[in-house]
Amino acid sequence: MTDRTENLVLVLPGLLLLALAFFVPIARMLVLSVEGEAGLTLTHFERFLSDPFYLSVLWRTVRLSLIITLICAAIGFPMAYIMAHVGPRLRLWLIVLVILPLMTSVVIRTFGWMVLLGRSGLIPEILRDLGLAERNFAIMRTEAAIVIGMVQVLLPFMTLSILGVITRIDRRLEEAARTMGCSFLGTLRTVVLPLAMPGIVAGSLLVFTLSASSFVTPNLLGGSRIQVLAASIYRSVTQTLDWPFAAAQAVILFAGVLLILIPYAQLTRRADG
Amino acid sequence: MADVHLSGITKSFGNVEVLHGISLAVASGEFVSLLGASGCGKTTLLRIVAGLETVTSGSVAIADRDVTALPPERRDIAMMFQSYALLPHLSVFENVRFPLRMRGIGTRAEQHERARDALETVQLAHLGDRRPRQLSGGQQQRVALARAVVSRPKVLLLDEPLSNLDARLREDMQVELIEIHNRLGLTTLFVTHDQDEALSLSDRIVLINQGRIEQMGAPAEIYDRPATAYASNFIGAANLVPASIEDGAGGPLARLEDGQHIALGDQVDERGPVTLALRQEDLALAPADADAGDGLKAQVRTRVFLGARSRYVIALGDTVVRVIDTGRATFRSGDRVRLTIDPERIRVLPR
Repeated sequence: MTDRTENLVLVLPGLLLLALAFFVPIARMLVLSVEGEAGLTLTHFERFLSDPFYLSVLWRTVRLSLIITLICAAIGFPMAYIMAHVGPRLRLWLIVLVILPLMTSVVIRTFGWMVLLGRSGLIPEILRDLGLAERNFAIMRTEAAIVIGMVQVLLPFMTLSILGVITRIDRRLEEAARTMGCSFLGTLRTVVLPLAMPGIVAGSLLVFTLSASSFVTPNLLGGSRIQVLAASIYRSVTQTLDWPFAAAQAVILFAGVLLILIPYAQLTRRADG
Repeated sequence: MADVHLSGITKSFGNVEVLHGISLAVASGEFVSLLGASGCGKTTLLRIVAGLETVTSGSVAIADRDVTALPPERRDIAMMFQSYALLPHLSVFENVRFPLRMRGIGTRAEQHERARDALETVQLAHLGDRRPRQLSGGQQQRVALARAVVSRPKVLLLDEPLSNLDARLREDMQVELIEIHNRLGLTTLFVTHDQDEALSLSDRIVLINQGRIEQMGAPAEIYDRPATAYASNFIGAANLVPASIEDGAGGPLARLEDGQHIALGDQVDERGPVTLALRQEDLALAPADADAGDGLKAQVRTRVFLGARSRYVIALGDTVVRVIDTGRATFRSGDRVRLTIDPERIRVLPR
């Protein structure tokens, strides 16, 4: 056997698994989304795109995902910077601290937030006691609840993506910038941030895709009134049993995410070049 | 007037004190080398001047202003790093313009003009659009130099900037450094472990050993009159031979541990046990069977051929002595030889 065929044989199981577990379902979904009673049809897409309710669900999904990504980046960057600059022992502890939430189920953590954010929960109560909120103030079943819960779930992905890049930035570069008249914050902005961009991009891609397609946390924290696309798909599958419409929504989500991510990834590749 | 004034600088990392009270004044326009073996504290001292390390005690003044508590960006300095530290995400031109931009010097047009001028002085104006990583090591080095001088800082700090270059480029850069220093008249602190570099570049050498100033002086002075055994060994790599001084018939002479003796120059005041510092290049070899002179009897152990010269390792009694010989005669290992030296070239150091 030549090296080439040997390599092919080695990669075959992986390819098969990928084909069976990934490409076949996606193809099935694509086919299902254009399936009608009389052959191929685009009625499911038309129905989605002409109904203001579904458009608002789509818009909310994209908007919340963007906000979540932004907040994760805004928290994750300084966090990763600090983790990269402390001693190795403290860094280990911080990494454990960041990863720890990943070790419990999303459902459990979301129930935790429900307890904290509910009408008689800890956080609204404190805000009311401090006089910062009105009597009937609640965070549960608002978009804010979804954002808070999702940021907590997704922050580790962002932080660890950025951490990997920041630890590889030569510390001398920051020192050099300081000797050239940059303040500490100026150095963060003009040196560390541009050089950490690949990590921020990778983290953003992860966080954005995961939050756009997430179901459990938005559904539990947002309630049935504030739906995101994944929840709407779930409803179509389990309640109205309209599988073709669910497939069409999934395709729209898939296309929407790609539409936003591809230009973003290219933009940063150029900036990195 | 001093541009850099260090007084009583000490620095501890944890419980380890690495600098033990260093005081030093560098005059305006002076080129001073901080010379020492690795780990002697010279780089730490430079970083303290830059503001990248804090002092444990003592004070730093630059241009008659106490800057001990000021961060690096508020000191009027520029620093060139061993690894060059060019910003990889900026073009060569933007790297050189960076200090002007950050310090807010001049308008945009003036910044561009000065950055272009600085790149021209290092003959790299045509590479301004490249990224640093597309340049060779020598070119990156010159970009770093251009970037360091573009803002005309009061004090230029150089942290072993030449040590990553090969021998040929290094000589070119030394010339370039001296020319730029002379042209701009920048007060310069230069850290190096290479005594040749220090001797050829500096107005003054500060020899540092284990966090203390061992000796300070002009290159010729420190080379010709090393004050301590460490200094004479580090600069010029002298052989240190234990001996004791006696009064002989024709003046003082040094008696070695194996009983041989060697004549000394007249102005030797020490008596008793001393260390003789004998420069490798001051010692000469002669065949042992030639007319008996007052040379020391010794035996060749190894010879290393260096082209124009040869380096010999010689056994002188129990002491090992290195000799650089330019003579035509070659000796092989095991040959018996006589070691001779001009008495005036022997340094007598108290033990």
